[in-house]
Amino acid sequence: MAKDEFLQVVDLHKRFHKLEVLKGISTGFRRNEVVSIIGPSGGGKSTFLRCLNLLEVPNSGQIIFDGVDICDKKQDINLHRQKMGMVFQQFNLFNNANVLHNLIDAPMRIKKLPRETAEEMALRLLGEVGLADRVDAYPHQLSGGQKQRIAIVRALMMEPEVMLFDEPTSALDPEMIGEVLDVMKRLAEDGMTMIVVTHEMRFAREVSDRTIFLDDGHIEEDKPSHEFFDHPESPRLVSFLDKVL
Amino acid sequence: MTFFNEMAMLFTRYNSFFYEGVRNTLIISAFSVLLGIVFGTLMAMLRMSKILPLRLLATAYIEFIRGTPLMVQLMFIFYGLPMVGIQFPNIPFIPDFSRFAAGIVAMSMNSCAYVAEIIRSGIQAVDSGQMEAARSIGYSHSQAMRYVVLPQAVRNILPALGNEFVIVIKESSIVSVIGIADLMFRTKDVIAVTYRTLPSLAIAAVIYFCMTFLGGQLISWMERRMSHGKG
Ligand SMILES: Nc1ncnc2c1ncn2[C@@H]1O[C@H](COP(=O)(O)OP(=O)(O)OP(=O)(O)O)[C@@H](O)[C@H]1O
Ligand SMILES: [Mg+2]
Repeated sequence: MAKDEFLQVVDLHKRFHKLEVLKGISTGFRRNEVVSIIGPSGGGKSTFLRCLNLLEVPNSGQIIFDGVDICDKKQDINLHRQKMGMVFQQFNLFNNANVLHNLIDAPMRIKKLPRETAEEMALRLLGEVGLADRVDAYPHQLSGGQKQRIAIVRALMMEPEVMLFDEPTSALDPEMIGEVLDVMKRLAEDGMTMIVVTHEMRFAREVSDRTIFLDDGHIEEDKPSHEFFDHPESPRLVSFLDKVL
Repeated sequence: MTFFNEMAMLFTRYNSFFYEGVRNTLIISAFSVLLGIVFGTLMAMLRMSKILPLRLLATAYIEFIRGTPLMVQLMFIFYGLPMVGIQFPNIPFIPDFSRFAAGIVAMSMNSCAYVAEIIRSGIQAVDSGQMEAARSIGYSHSQAMRYVVLPQAVRNILPALGNEFVIVIKESSIVSVIGIADLMFRTKDVIAVTYRTLPSLAIAAVIYFCMTFLGGQLISWMERRMSHGKG
């Protein structure tokens, strides 16, 4: 296990009642790394990602984040979650609040940022994703692509060490996928550490440094993206790529 | 004399009966709903508690209340409690306090169960993604509840609570059987004096309808105000 991995996963198991979804996952993530996770539906990709910030509680195994095992009940998970941003397929913007409030509430409430600082930061980040003019809009007034870009900004507002994406473009109309992928690509270029569950093979291949094939609760293959796509080894990955490419 | 003339005549002559009835009906309903909301909120919290025995207790209470007639519950409170030694006291200056107390206790115990379900389903109707998103950026469970879920749940809950008030106004007519001088009770008085059954009942129906209709209008006005500017 490499020393420079700030996030390590050791023999992670997760069951839902009798259904074993994660059957012993071990891997690690380095800072500034962009990792894609692909695999067939039901293979456990979302469950794995949600285990990383304990939205799902693993049955056994360790998740070592910045040197501490966050599965340990004594750890303050709220503190660790602030350092892990998450972007959901369904955006999940707070429906009762406008864009600005969506962005500044957590930094102000949880990190005790002064309002001016939070607003300044929100406007700057909104500008970077091309949505500065929607600062007063409510979520229902936004398109899916706009919602997702704002959801990304909301996660960035907490200045996380790593961003988790669970199929961020799967709920979008095709013409809006590009605008969200562009934002993600720029994040990657800026050095953000990203773990991305995706069906976008081009993103996995061209943007991510490494790709993981998660199938039936196992990591079947895990290597640098160009090798992953040019020389897949596992027969299951070969047949999966045949189907999706 | 036409039916409507007869109604008008009865109402003019006995309007003090009807006014007193309306007053008592509104008092009973308002107290029942208020107490029902206070205890219903607590009951909803028990019902959603992490502690299994509390949850079971609350579920049992809610199911029992919703599965038995209000009439039976009322009789149990009014006749049953004194038999086991629990007596509502009579208080000077408030005539018939013990009857009122029994009526309000029974009605609010009943309303409590329905309110608890209204609140629970209002909270559960909020998309679970909202709670998850809040937790994922570091809100504690109670912060996420307070700042993200509840503000959205309230918009499901308030209209249903208003509806509950309308239902309570109608159901409260049942307290006349334990001798509370509500609108139904006073209507029966008027019938007993005049033998004009149908016109008297028609007056009561019109008054009940006015109360529930105005209540309903008030609620939809509040709903419109609340949805203003929000999604
Ligand atoms: N909360 C839950 N309760 C019970 N079963 C669940 C739960 N969440 C997921 N599962 C099951 O676990 C398995 C893995 O689900 P998961 O969502 O992790 O798959 P996935 O790889 O993300 O698939 P997809 O590509 O369709 O999103 C599925 O069989 C799913 O039905
Ligand atoms: Mg998934």
